[in-house]
Amino acid sequence: MPDGVIHLIPLAIVVGMFALFMFSGLRNRSRQATDYRLRGTYTGRIGIGAGIASNWMSAASFLGLAGVFYLKGYFAMAYVVGWTGGYVLLLVLMATQIRRFGKFTAPDFVGFRYESGTARTLAALISIIITLVYCVAQFRGIALLVSWLFGIDYIPAVVVGTSLLVSYVVISGAMGATRNQKLQYFVLIITFILPLMMLTRKLGYFWILPQFGYGAAIGELQQQFGFNWSEPFADTTLYQWLALCFTLMFGTAGLPHVLSRFYMVPNIRDARWGVVWGLFFIALIYWSAPAYGVLARLFEARNGLALAAGSSDAADRIVLTAASLGGLPVWAVGLLVAGGMSAAFSTSAGLLMAGSASFSFDIYPRLIRPNASESDKVFAAKGFFLIMALAVMVLAFRPWGLIAEIAAFAFAIAGNTIFPVFLLGIWWPRANATGVICGMLTGLAISFAPLFIGESVPILSQLFPLTSSACIGAPVVMFVIIVMSLFTAPPSAAIRHFVNRNVHDCSES
Amino acid sequence: MEQTSPKKDLSFFNPRGATMRSEVRVIKLILSGWLIAIVGFQVFAYLLESSYSELLLTDLIFINLPIQFWLSGQLLPLWFIILCVLFNVWMDRHSEQSHEESLRFRIKPIDGEDE
Repeated sequence: MPDGVIHLIPLAIVVGMFALFMFSGLRNRSRQATDYRLRGTYTGRIGIGAGIASNWMSAASFLGLAGVFYLKGYFAMAYVVGWTGGYVLLLVLMATQIRRFGKFTAPDFVGFRYESGTARTLAALISIIITLVYCVAQFRGIALLVSWLFGIDYIPAVVVGTSLLVSYVVISGAMGATRNQKLQYFVLIITFILPLMMLTRKLGYFWILPQFGYGAAIGELQQQFGFNWSEPFADTTLYQWLALCFTLMFGTAGLPHVLSRFYMVPNIRDARWGVVWGLFFIALIYWSAPAYGVLARLFEARNGLALAAGSSDAADRIVLTAASLGGLPVWAVGLLVAGGMSAAFSTSAGLLMAGSASFSFDIYPRLIRPNASESDKVFAAKGFFLIMALAVMVLAFRPWGLIAEIAAFAFAIAGNTIFPVFLLGIWWPRANATGVICGMLTGLAISFAPLFIGESVPILSQLFPLTSSACIGAPVVMFVIIVMSLFTAPPSAAIRHFVNRNVHDCSES
Repeated sequence: MEQTSPKKDLSFFNPRGATMRSEVRVIKLILSGWLIAIVGFQVFAYLLESSYSELLLTDLIFINLPIQFWLSGQLLPLWFIILCVLFNVWMDRHSEQSHEESLRFRIKPIDGEDE
């Protein structure tokens, strides 16, 4: 419940952090040439990894994961494994090959590989749907933080948060500030881990590595308060756990903004090693996130407070609750708020801008205004950015789950649509436009079926849970693509030759 | 020479050329290690729970954490990093060898790749 009090010190930390990012972005703009000179060096690869991690970190990682741990215990480990394991798929099956296509976005790739304007437009529409759903999770995170910062209710906080986000994009765009992703990652990791170290130190646990130190809290909860952490599958099935885990992994390898990262690095070897560093930096957060959920439970138990079961707002704010109940100084709570705001703002801004660009280049000139000039497209992009921001704001008024669950739904859509299309596009030259159009439509149907007809057809919700549908959905979509491709004409000889010779190295060395 | 018949197309299960075949072999090894670890650890935890209930799982503490928390939350992300490192090391060596071979024997020009 909002207390009606404005938290001034945390607010000052948030403002200061965004000012730092803006200042650094302005300096970064004039140092692009220096950055290129770092390519191929050790520092360059760490920087690429920090960029990947910064691009990845969102409200779901910073706030949502701890919330799921708090409510669902071991089940939340599926998020940790899913969101890290997906990078293995991405690296070994896609990272090297995807660059050889030389296309910068998912619709570009689909349009080129499948030689179809329809498939390209459909891929653009799906990318926008994924963006909208993913942004709902981010807006929810922003709103919860704004609600705490200004002491206002959730709905007004959604409106204020949206206004702040749009203002941030407009101001940074007008000033021409580029995003310094390395700085942003290191700010994120410090704001997340420093308060955790302080918490574990206050408790007398092993605070130097709080990622292991929080284990003592699990023991204390079990022995003194009877919390049952030792039965991992007591409230869930093995299938539910694995379905969520594999959905998140397929989704990771299919999220358009994650795939685009590989084009931004000039050298393919650095891109591959950048993934390793990126995965390490991401794992640093995921090794730590469970601790906040567990410590919050411990503090509540010690204070005789009931578990906030059913209160998704309380669960999604559990990182702040842990810091407050743990008696951390207000500036330390402010660090967490600033980190969460930074993660959610950068993800939302990046996704909304990519979505609006996708609309203005892939949909607007094809479906709405065929003779659109470049200035028309820029105008359309700006207009669509605002429309998407408003649409996400309205959807965020009544979110359908926890932050991590909403994000997982976006991963399920990506895993059911973009992932199979990319995978077969890279590894099977015979896949054609008819196959991927049918496949993407099937993937959309599988993703949204539990939402719209899940109650009337319960088997659908069991086989394809909303957040976990890609575990079975992605293989089904691949099957549809393969069957439809085999029953229709093969792609042109030119594109098959390109995949055979240019994407894969078939030399007899 | 340009291929025209779809029957000559490569695929993940039908790699062409020694280079691609060896790359696919490594990918299959990495993905096997990835899949076995993910499913294996969960089946292990599930069997421990269903066979021995919480008695054993409560006692199994490793580096301060219950065994299932440690396996899934700490070891698996670390294992993924190790798999990625192994893959990259192999790819680096493989691409250096290919580059040397292509320079020595002029097997085929490398176009569009900057490795």
